[in-house]
Amino acid sequence: MNFSFDTIWHNLPYLLAAARWTILISVSGMAISLVWGTALCATRLSANPFLRGAAVLYISFFRGVPLLVQLLLFYYALPYVGLDLPAVQAAILATGLCSAAYTAEILRGALQSIPSGQTEAAYALGIPSFSLWRRILVPQAVRIGMPSLVNELILLVKVSSLASVVGIGELTRISQNITGETYRPLEIYITAAVIYFAINWVLSISGRLIEKKLQIG
Amino acid sequence: METELFVRYGPALLYGFGITILCWLAGSIGGVIVGFILACLNRWGPHALSWVIYVYVEIIRGTPFMIQLFILYYGGPYIGLVLSPVQAGITSFVVYGSPYFAEIFRSGFNAIPKGQIEAARCVGMPETRILWRIILPQMLVPITAPLTNFFIILTKETAILSVVTVPELLFQTQTMAAETFTFVEPFLALSLFYWLMVLVTGWIGAKVEQRVTRHLKRA
Amino acid sequence: MSKEQMTTTADDAIITVRNLSKYFDDFEALRDITLDVKRSEVLCLIGPSGSGKSTLLRCLNFLEQYDGGEVHLDGELIGWQDISHNPRKPLSGEALRKQRQHIGMVFQHFHLWPHMSALDNVAEALTSVKKLSKKKAKEAAMAALTKVHLEDKAENYPANLSGGQQQRVAIARAIAMEPQVMLFDEPTSALDPELVGEVLSVMKDLAAEGMTMVVVTHEMGFAAHVADRVAFLDSGRLVTCVPPEEMFGREPDDARVRSFLQTYRERNVV
Ligand SMILES: Nc1ncnc2c1ncn2[C@@H]1O[C@H](COP(=O)(O)OP(=O)(O)OP(=O)(O)O)[C@@H](O)[C@H]1O
Ligand SMILES: [Mg+2]
Repeated sequence: MNFSFDTIWHNLPYLLAAARWTILISVSGMAISLVWGTALCATRLSANPFLRGAAVLYISFFRGVPLLVQLLLFYYALPYVGLDLPAVQAAILATGLCSAAYTAEILRGALQSIPSGQTEAAYALGIPSFSLWRRILVPQAVRIGMPSLVNELILLVKVSSLASVVGIGELTRISQNITGETYRPLEIYITAAVIYFAINWVLSISGRLIEKKLQIG
Repeated sequence: METELFVRYGPALLYGFGITILCWLAGSIGGVIVGFILACLNRWGPHALSWVIYVYVEIIRGTPFMIQLFILYYGGPYIGLVLSPVQAGITSFVVYGSPYFAEIFRSGFNAIPKGQIEAARCVGMPETRILWRIILPQMLVPITAPLTNFFIILTKETAILSVVTVPELLFQTQTMAAETFTFVEPFLALSLFYWLMVLVTGWIGAKVEQRVTRHLKRA
Repeated sequence: MSKEQMTTTADDAIITVRNLSKYFDDFEALRDITLDVKRSEVLCLIGPSGSGKSTLLRCLNFLEQYDGGEVHLDGELIGWQDISHNPRKPLSGEALRKQRQHIGMVFQHFHLWPHMSALDNVAEALTSVKKLSKKKAKEAAMAALTKVHLEDKAENYPANLSGGQQQRVAIARAIAMEPQVMLFDEPTSALDPELVGEVLSVMKDLAAEGMTMVVVTHEMGFAAHVADRVAFLDSGRLVTCVPPEEMFGREPDDARVRSFLQTYRERNVV
């Protein structure tokens, strides 16, 4: 068969436009993941055994169920409990809630690698617990966990393709649509793969730059 | 009502579970084998080859599994590669998993102190024997956890195969949900089921890890 | 034991090193080393850190590919197929393995295989290289362990052995192959002081049995009392190679040797 660069050229604008949705979903998902993940991490480390247990259960469940199944569950269950979110928001929320389970574990790992002497020193100085978290522990944890967090974002870019299943017009879905019209799956999907790869490549490069900055600062 | 549903859809769900396990097992085993070969080629093969492998690993790790699956399943026929959904599912698992497995094995190779391999060379042991007797048994320790981790990822990734109509568990559940107009309960039950599968995989991994680290414990 | 000068005939030399040189990229680690080791001789290599002692030792069994010159063991060129050919081609894996069987090596950090018991560490090469039956291999391994006084620790894993015991297992692993020469690279440097003695004593026994040994060491006492000759290396060059009485007895001529030994004298080792 002949590889048609023409098809790629004609459809590239649509694919790139769709890629913006891919980025939107993954970046917003990551934002939710960071906020919810931090809360989850704090809960996971709390002194209250019930809270701790709930966090453990949450993390285990969200890491144990395929995201695709979570998405479908969310998609169908939200209206059921009276929440009528547009599909995109629902997908972002589901992605964020799932990713938070991983982020919480990344932060926990990072926190535990901070020498406990620092906490003791802060307590000795009389720094209150909340400030200790906000000013000393969390910034360090983010710095230590940075490589893993960037990795998590890259993962979100990849799993955002699952949103195609619930009909969101992101890169994968649009590729499917175009393929349906052009009957050129090889060209279109390879182009989509290249776009995904480029996004992730930029992310990993910037991740490394940020890491360097954080190390100096 | 519930039991009636179960009687009606039980066989299909069971079949779906079988397909899920089949794709998972065949894909994982294939991925491990190909990944191991890649890691060996990378270590002992010609230098140019390790470049090719590097590019392959980066490409696969930088793109979504779903897109890889589509390229294989929908694009394959255009280059003379016609696969059934299950065949495509298993093949894409091997393609997708092998670079990750290769990376795990690579780090495993690197975890063996160089001196131990030199010591083996000094008594005249052949390289294959060194791989088999010195490197592999010890490598099990650092690689068991990441391997388990990736097996778990693959367990979950099987759900994506439903998108190309592989009749696995999610696919069967979707069919059932559409026919009965009940959505929340089946997907909730399905979630719990996957969760259980992942927990069991993790538990087996932990057991294996205990076993392979026995000799490191001081008596 | 013979204690003549360096002028040896090729006949009684088991290792001959001629004009050996070794580069790591642009860095010249060894330059123009010429040296003989006679049968049953104990040769100690001393010198400051980074002087190339380990590199020289590792060239003798081709763990490092030397770039220039020749190393012969019992008349056989080590490592290279043919030195007249340029660039040099290394021997096939098979041929190199044959050569290495005749050269035992003991490392500073033991490098035992932690997933095998002491006995299996020693028996491994006997089955896989010497092709002895399992039973024969175990017997021979046990005999080697007995030589290093560890027969009662045969079933222990390395994690359950002291450093000194681990090093003795490593020595047993090497001598079980019945090598023609033994190379030691700082065998006691990683050991707690109270464990050094047990390893040195095993090495003395080996020397007394007539084993040819090349020993890189910082144990000047061992060098003074057990060595037949002591070679001093500095910046990749062989400065001198003389009997220990000459090296340690009178004030050395060479300034480098003098200042090196001075640090030991101050600590009252020699
Ligand atoms: N693999 C290598 N790559 C590059 N340089 C090396 C390598 N191995 C050794 N060298 C260099 O060669 C020189 C000699 O090293 P060598 O290990 O032989 O010294 P040594 O006399 O054994 O020192 P020490 O007493 O510290 O063990 C050193 O400057 C070292 O940095
Ligand atoms: Mg050294």
